[in-house]
Amino acid sequence: MQAESKRTILRYGLLVLATSMLAAPLLAALLVAVMPIEQVYALPANLVPERVDWRNFTDAATRLPFLRFIANSFVVSVSAVIGAVLTSAMAGYAFARLHWKGKHAYVAVLIASLVIPAQILLIPQFLLFSSLGWINTYKPLIVPAWLGGGAFNVFLFWQFFRTIPRDFDDAAKLDGASHWIILTRVMIPMAMPVTATVALLSFVYHWQDFQKPLIYLSDFRTYPVALGLRMYQATSGSWINLVIAASLIALLPVLVVFIIAQHHIGPANAALALGDANERDDD
Amino acid sequence: MRNPRHRFPISPPAFLLPWLVGVFMLAGLPLTATILLSCAQWDGVDFSSATWVGVRHYQELTTVEATSDPAQNQPWSWALLGGKPRDALFVRSMTNSLNFACLATPLSLTVALFLAILLNARLAGMTAFRSLAYLPHVLGGVATILIWSWVFNPTFGPVNVTIRFAYDLIDPIVRIFNDRGTVDWLLPGWLTSETWCMPAVVCMHAWTAGASVFVFLAALQGTDPDAHGAALIDGASRWRRFWLITLPQLTPAILFNLVTGLVASMQSFNYSYLLYNRAQNDGLLFVVLHIYRSAFEPPYRLGYASAMACLLFVILLAFTALTFASSKRWVHYAS
Repeated sequence: MQAESKRTILRYGLLVLATSMLAAPLLAALLVAVMPIEQVYALPANLVPERVDWRNFTDAATRLPFLRFIANSFVVSVSAVIGAVLTSAMAGYAFARLHWKGKHAYVAVLIASLVIPAQILLIPQFLLFSSLGWINTYKPLIVPAWLGGGAFNVFLFWQFFRTIPRDFDDAAKLDGASHWIILTRVMIPMAMPVTATVALLSFVYHWQDFQKPLIYLSDFRTYPVALGLRMYQATSGSWINLVIAASLIALLPVLVVFIIAQHHIGPANAALALGDANERDDD
Repeated sequence: MRNPRHRFPISPPAFLLPWLVGVFMLAGLPLTATILLSCAQWDGVDFSSATWVGVRHYQELTTVEATSDPAQNQPWSWALLGGKPRDALFVRSMTNSLNFACLATPLSLTVALFLAILLNARLAGMTAFRSLAYLPHVLGGVATILIWSWVFNPTFGPVNVTIRFAYDLIDPIVRIFNDRGTVDWLLPGWLTSETWCMPAVVCMHAWTAGASVFVFLAALQGTDPDAHGAALIDGASRWRRFWLITLPQLTPAILFNLVTGLVASMQSFNYSYLLYNRAQNDGLLFVVLHIYRSAFEPPYRLGYASAMACLLFVILLAFTALTFASSKRWVHYAS
């Protein structure tokens, strides 16, 4: 028993050490974000602010139309999330519950589309969207999410729907429900852990996406927050305290969405939120 | 009874339609177009100006010219190729991306495995620790890259300030042996140095390993407890139990994380685009940034950029195939 409790203390110690190392850069960012600029560049360098200047956050938010960038990001991310959840759940439902001739071929296509690297497709997609006249609009950022929402998400829904007993469908069918009603009223609510996971992953993907807005948007008033931060870095990089303050403001919505989604995913299903490495090629 | 196959409609259900359109328009068609475009010369403006050039772009990308000048400044990769590549930047960027993938992926996996083992226990507060471990993965993006670039600032950033502080602490001891103490000791230039920019970015990337942590955690929770009990009776130490029982059961998860990690890091763009500066001497020019610049900056060589994209695709396929081929030797699937 003695050895067991020692081991528990050791585990907690290592966990605190590891998570504080993960948190360290964010903590360092918070410290520099509240520093007056003359202290940031004072020598010998000091990491802890002599006085805390919260005005940096309001300065950072007003120097560029930063709140506008955040609003733009919300428009793009929320419209994309709705599309991604809906269309990937539809495809997942079709794979889990419906039968048609040649289904195996479609499964093969789904798996193949999972492994096609996104970067290879960038130039032809640009040509396609520009021929449609979609440059300088949000359509190239939102419409792809409404077209299946990513193979990985289809997979997640498919695998979860398979585990739901057919009795639920049958009961709904007896009541005369269509597939659409079964999907939106029965399956999606029952698959809440997956729905929340897909919503979280696609919100994060669209909030953090940098390359596609870079290619498709040129008017800075339409910039999402990722491009806005790049503009900050390029125009006022020497005001590092403001750049970092703006970065922290940009992370806040992701943090909030993460906490809300976690609540719905639940600890038991946390493993569902597993590798979306194929989706997130943006780092 | 009729043949059961006739019960199935021939056309796919309407529910599949959005996904199907997406796969065709955003994956199938573009993939074909990239391959075709790589054999054409086009600036993307006027379709009539496009010309078919066959494999010329591939020749240009793979040509190595003999150099009469045995300059010492040649990067080591040229020595392997046996001369000066026609597009030196392409070779440089590909080397950088390969370096990054081969350094960042194993480091991320090690960090993730370590975290997963720590998190695999039923203790109070474990949910909070798990959330904290996953958090960097969702935060990773432009904002955290800007934060990291401050953390690695050579003069004022926390990393070098800490190193300087540690040097100052041991300075009196060093002075016993050496008059100058720690004054000349190394403070890496990180993102402003050709040598140190890659280690800095590899660290940044390892920080976002949260997704792999959960793949490992799921695998750890699926390991067979009976095998552990048997080994415990045999008196195997904790360490031996980990090496001989737990780790083999984790190999499918390692394979998954390895393949997705390599493929994702070979495609990384943001680090390269945001942290690129002259002082690095193209040390952070990743292949995806080189493709982006060739295609979207004058003279808009769309065909040439597509040829690079195709070569990248081939390399990724080869990476994946090699990893899977080797997996027969080291991945153990539960029977």
